[in-house]
Amino acid sequence: MYMRDFIHLAGTSLVAHRLRTVLTSLGIGVGIAAVVLLTSIGEGVHRYVLSEFTQFGTTLVGINPGRTTTHGTSMGVFGSERPLSIEDAEALKQLSFVEAVVPFVQGNAEVEAGNRRRRTTIYGAGPQMPEALRMRVNSGAFLPDDDPTAPRALAVLGSKLRQELFAYRNPLGKRITIAGNRYRIIGVMEPKGQVLGFDLDDTVYIPAARALELFNRDTLFEIDVMYRSNVRVERVVDGIRRTLMARHGREDFTITTQEQMLDVLGSILNVLTFAVAAIGGISLLVGAIGIVTIMTIAVNERTSEIGLIRALGARQSQILGLFLGEATVLAAIGGLAGLAMGLGVASLLRLVLPELPVHTPWIYVVLAEVLAVVLGIISGILPARRAARLDPVEALRDE
Amino acid sequence: MRLHSGDVSLFAWRALKGYPARTLLMLIAMAIGVAAVVVLTSLGEGARRYVSAEFASLGTNLLIVIPGRSETAGINPSTMMGETPRELTLDDAVSLTRSFSVRRVAPITVGSANVIAQGRQRESVILGSSHELLAIRRWQLAQGQFLPDTDLDLATPVCVIGSKIRNEIFAARRAVGEWLRIGDRRFRVIGVMGSEGRSIGVDVHDTVIIPVASAQQLFNQSSLFRILVEAKSRSAIGPAKQFVVDTLRERHQDEEDVTVITQDGVLATFDRILNALTIAVGGIAAISLGVAGILIMNVMLVAVSQRTAEIGLLKALGATRRQILVLFLIEALLLSTLGAALGLAVGQLGSLAIRYAFPLLPAYAPAWSVSLSIVVAVTTGVLCSLLPARRAARLDPVLALSRR
Repeated sequence: MYMRDFIHLAGTSLVAHRLRTVLTSLGIGVGIAAVVLLTSIGEGVHRYVLSEFTQFGTTLVGINPGRTTTHGTSMGVFGSERPLSIEDAEALKQLSFVEAVVPFVQGNAEVEAGNRRRRTTIYGAGPQMPEALRMRVNSGAFLPDDDPTAPRALAVLGSKLRQELFAYRNPLGKRITIAGNRYRIIGVMEPKGQVLGFDLDDTVYIPAARALELFNRDTLFEIDVMYRSNVRVERVVDGIRRTLMARHGREDFTITTQEQMLDVLGSILNVLTFAVAAIGGISLLVGAIGIVTIMTIAVNERTSEIGLIRALGARQSQILGLFLGEATVLAAIGGLAGLAMGLGVASLLRLVLPELPVHTPWIYVVLAEVLAVVLGIISGILPARRAARLDPVEALRDE
Repeated sequence: MRLHSGDVSLFAWRALKGYPARTLLMLIAMAIGVAAVVVLTSLGEGARRYVSAEFASLGTNLLIVIPGRSETAGINPSTMMGETPRELTLDDAVSLTRSFSVRRVAPITVGSANVIAQGRQRESVILGSSHELLAIRRWQLAQGQFLPDTDLDLATPVCVIGSKIRNEIFAARRAVGEWLRIGDRRFRVIGVMGSEGRSIGVDVHDTVIIPVASAQQLFNQSSLFRILVEAKSRSAIGPAKQFVVDTLRERHQDEEDVTVITQDGVLATFDRILNALTIAVGGIAAISLGVAGILIMNVMLVAVSQRTAEIGLLKALGATRRQILVLFLIEALLLSTLGAALGLAVGQLGSLAIRYAFPLLPAYAPAWSVSLSIVVAVTTGVLCSLLPARRAARLDPVLALSRR
């Protein structure tokens, strides 16, 4: 049998039952569309979360006070008998691979400027924060490199807070009162938006030592260390651990690397995407059952035709190939239609809900089509084998 | 011609039985859809019930006072952790007891410290609180007694330990009555917590509970992390919240610098989120019902063309269009109902298996999802067979009979 005849035979039977072909393909198509759309949303969310994290840079290590083995986060943030101090942060600056060290304290207080007041988040930070966290100053300057234990009372505003307190006036050089203490504004940050629920624009940055004083605490929330990108993270963690152990006498702190966090997050999100795709895949399974059903019917209908071809000398494997080919083409058409539907809905979603991150990597598109074809072959096997095993004599008599 | 309903169902039944392979496949397709919806929504419902139960175990009629307040409405992560210049103090906590709508008040400080006894040490969570905490959180004691009912500012050197700490540090020996060093202070162990306690936020097994004043000394701070307030009754939650906000504003020089969240509020939020998730997941699974519907339409179309002669005969015998339509619709109805019933059985078995495998997760398929999935399955089946049935009804009896 020639390839041309082969294609002709399979093709004509598909064209002859147009409605049937369309409906069967539609079954697979809906399944593929669901899978493509859901994985696109999953991948979009994945990328969105990763970009939220990596916008601060990837060469970051966070150090928190306190240490627990069972909990994800340490309760030491709220209180610890062995605090992390500003001096600890200073000591870390001595390490050779360290580019920037930022001590962090966070709190909530009322900020007053003229006759406007607003309760907002206060960040106590170090002068190296903009470079370590890749944040940019919009106007003025960030906190200067003062004596870290006795810095001047200077403040930098987040963009939203500046808007709320000063509207369109120039805030630089003005004075604000944070919980009764006066600070001079020396800069305004560029808008950064919400990061994992923390609004980084509705904030004011003051020197860490001042914040500790303001909130009457003796431990920092966190020390962020940015290391040089050509140094291995294990060496960095090791160096930090040795320095702090030398100062504290024991390991009473927790070190988290950005890499670890990204790994954990990435794997969680992958599992989620996979689970959602699997739920969408149920439709695909039903679509595959549709192919099995229709192919079974087709084999029944065309028994005499099969008998004739066999009588003319077609081998079993050729019959098998004929029906398998038909099932595969059905699935492939469905897959293509499904891809079109899925991508269409995805771009529609992008238009209607711009805040929902949707992203379809090309590899998914290819994989979905491959999946459809494979499903077609698998669901074609049973009916095709039945067709191939027909006894030509019996089959011809069927008419 | 008159058709008896018995005849009609028998006709449909025979038609289905005539092609067992194809009927079975369609049943499976329908059943997969229904079963998927039932199992997935039961998972979602299980998660919802689990969270509700967790919240209920927090205590009832609970208000949580958090220091700090953000101008933008609602709770965000930055109010959940963070310091305020004017802290919540023990006196604040005491002042909150002075209302008819408040039953109990427990101040809370949290931190981590080294716990040492008999040469073994462990870094664990230290919870500073008061006598009332046990009743508010509905915890059970395994041995000994809970913190004594004394003034809040009395730093008694006693502690109650979680069962895990007990096992790690005291192993098989008696723990009650022994000394435990927490940081640089010594505490007498007076009780061991029961084993049930695992609730949101704190793992009671791995916690040491000490009087709040002792914790403040240990961590060298005078602020409180939270204040838990239990209202007298459900209806007293509103007045209690108002009272807490008013009292603290008065005490804090007319500045409203605390956030008060109610347990109901938080629970409602979680409920909404999990319900939305359940609906979304169920909806995605329900797409497969649509696919099954397409399959039914397809097969019915084939059946109509295969049974042309039969239809022609029926029509020649005087069957009206409407009767032929009903005949095919009944067949579809029978098919999708059987499929849905099969799917429901498989789905319920599936959720039973989940409950068996994860006893913590009460995975019961909610009634709305069960009924909805059956209704959707049957409606899709019937709707999808409308086109084939109409095609059959419109056949010209003469042409149909002459086909063969």
